[in-house]
Amino acid sequence: MGKTRISGIQLFLLITGFLLGSRLIISPASESKTDGWLSILIAGAGGILLVTMYASIALLNPSRTLVEILRDRFGKIIGTIVAISYIWYFTHLAGLVFRDFGSFLVTTTYPRTPMEVIIAIFALTIIYAVNSGIEVMGRISEILVPIVPVLSLIIGASIVTTHDFTAFLPVLENGIKPVIKASLNLLAFPFGEAVVFLMIFPHLNKMKSLIKITTFSTLSVIGLFLYIFFRNIIILESHFLDQATFVPHLTSVLFPGLNLEPLFGVIMIIAGGIKIISAIYAAVMGLSQLIGAKDYRTFTTCIVAFSVILSIWVHENIFEVFNWAGNTWFYYSIPFQFIIPLILLFLSLIKKADPKPQDL
Amino acid sequence: MKTNKLAIIFVLSILLAGCWDNTDLTDINIVTALGIDKDEDGKIIVTVQVVEPAAVPLTSSSNGGGAGQTKPVSVKSYKGETIYDALISMKSIVDKRLFLSTVQVLVLGERFCKDGINDALDYLHRNNQAEYLADVLVARGTSPEQILNIQADMDVISALYIKGTVENTAVRAKVERKMLIELFKEIKNKCRQITIGQITKLDGKTVKTEGTAVFRDGKLVGWLDQYQTRGYLFVADKVGNPVISFSAPESKISIEIIQSTGKKSVIFKNGEPARLSVQIRLEGNIGEYIGKEMLSKPEDIHKIEKMLSEEVKKEINMALNKAQKDYSSDIFGFGEYVHKYYPKYWKKAMDEWNDVFSRLPADIRVEAKIRHTGLIKSPMKKDE
Repeated sequence: MGKTRISGIQLFLLITGFLLGSRLIISPASESKTDGWLSILIAGAGGILLVTMYASIALLNPSRTLVEILRDRFGKIIGTIVAISYIWYFTHLAGLVFRDFGSFLVTTTYPRTPMEVIIAIFALTIIYAVNSGIEVMGRISEILVPIVPVLSLIIGASIVTTHDFTAFLPVLENGIKPVIKASLNLLAFPFGEAVVFLMIFPHLNKMKSLIKITTFSTLSVIGLFLYIFFRNIIILESHFLDQATFVPHLTSVLFPGLNLEPLFGVIMIIAGGIKIISAIYAAVMGLSQLIGAKDYRTFTTCIVAFSVILSIWVHENIFEVFNWAGNTWFYYSIPFQFIIPLILLFLSLIKKADPKPQDL
Repeated sequence: MKTNKLAIIFVLSILLAGCWDNTDLTDINIVTALGIDKDEDGKIIVTVQVVEPAAVPLTSSSNGGGAGQTKPVSVKSYKGETIYDALISMKSIVDKRLFLSTVQVLVLGERFCKDGINDALDYLHRNNQAEYLADVLVARGTSPEQILNIQADMDVISALYIKGTVENTAVRAKVERKMLIELFKEIKNKCRQITIGQITKLDGKTVKTEGTAVFRDGKLVGWLDQYQTRGYLFVADKVGNPVISFSAPESKISIEIIQSTGKKSVIFKNGEPARLSVQIRLEGNIGEYIGKEMLSKPEDIHKIEKMLSEEVKKEINMALNKAQKDYSSDIFGFGEYVHKYYPKYWKKAMDEWNDVFSRLPADIRVEAKIRHTGLIKSPMKKDE
């Protein structure tokens, strides 16, 4: 710790790419149909709170990663157990994103290629990136993540020509319930998943601006989600949104005379890649700190291999993927995203950590 | 050394990934048009028009006779239980894999449409090869097979010829251009009924795309002629630059419409729909004027504006009447307006909306403006 640093803008882009992640293929808040924008706003507000909470935990425990904080606050035994479950959670998260990615490419572009092959090839790149270290990851996101909003804007601007701009009406047709449900889902996936960054925050070179950075990237993600939602609903109309397996992909094939599908694949690979890299890095880093290994790189290959196998095993078919992302994930994530961080924040507020002497 | 090995693995893996789903151009049959119909027993007949690229003459000036004996397009039909079944079974009579991403025109048969298209088109939506931007048409008085079998003399590939006529006619607002994706949207949309452009066969070389097929609950119920189609398109706000001709006493006038916006709404009274309201704004230029009267004062223009708006109103009325009285089908999408602004009423009345729509009286307001008169002001005639 303390040697490798990433800059503020790199962390900003890393978080943005992470939050966009696979939500770019599974349309944000399409369950609540025309009220998706409301869900996005509610989830966004909650997301800012959550991410700020994670950032405050990092600030109250300077230069400590999640695993170290857990051991500090919960004691050695309980802390270790909780840390192990977090490592599992991060690995599982990476596996799920692998699966989203694989299903998407198999459905849309490579119907005859086995999904295992696509995922495995992607995994090789991930291993390389993670082994190159956090600085390289920061630079990757600096180069690649800005492409995502730019391409999204281009795709949108070129398809919206003469369409119905009142497509999001009526408001609250089916009551508030589906809206709340969709926003809770959106809160857990992707905003709450930013708990991963508790392993990465200590690398930031200027800790003072941490909360500013996290808030700003959450805000830009909310903005992009809103834009994508309105784009989809204007082009496809609400009746159509829940029909398509991959809504944004459907939008991208509608451009007349030009095939935008590859552009969409590019967006997908960038955002999904950043997300997997962050999750894997967090898991690997946590594992090495837990065991006390000198170099985290020893574990990368085995953790990635594990999550690849997990991704293929964990779901039988595409509906399970969506059902998991839409229903189960939220409940599964409650302890990791809400309860434990809340306890950590509480404990940290009671007793401020002594700054590590060797740092900064 | 380690990085070298890694590099090799990466290069290999990227190349392998690219090849897995690779299909060479020589291994596929390029399908340019697809026809779907049903026979008397309810079996699906799928017709494909396949292009042989080598036989397509490179320049239009090279006379067809010299370009060899092979025909540039060939048409095959096959029966099956479903569209997918028929397409796959067809492999027993075609030599290569059928490649659907190049489909330009999709022609549906009358019998197929009468049995309902809501569920039947699933395959074209599910398959990742289907071209969502293909133009959809309904063959009237003929079968898709016959339409695709024409030997067009305007273009060697008759699918492109058909697509061209659709594009032309859509600008004139005599046929509605409906792409496959728009059709899917309408099938899902409960607030409006489906309409598809109509195609008829004139002779062995020519087709005509004019008119509209009207559906109710996914089933073909009738047709709109070219003028009713234009009236419908004015309301649906989908007109390009049509030319509207009408005759006044002692003169004949053709107006080219430059711009048109159509707005529709439903006026509610006491929580129940009371009237339909249509508002059209037009802007046009005088394209042709055959008559004796001089055109010089603004009042002369106002007179023509009035006649134009009456003419448009007449066409809209015809279309509305047909949709309300004969077909009882809300093709205009008034239901969308109700759904958006009166969601509570819509929930109640969703299922019988077509009947409610058929009962409502309509207010049609057309505001026509004529801006220019072309290069000359008054009609061509000898000075007196």
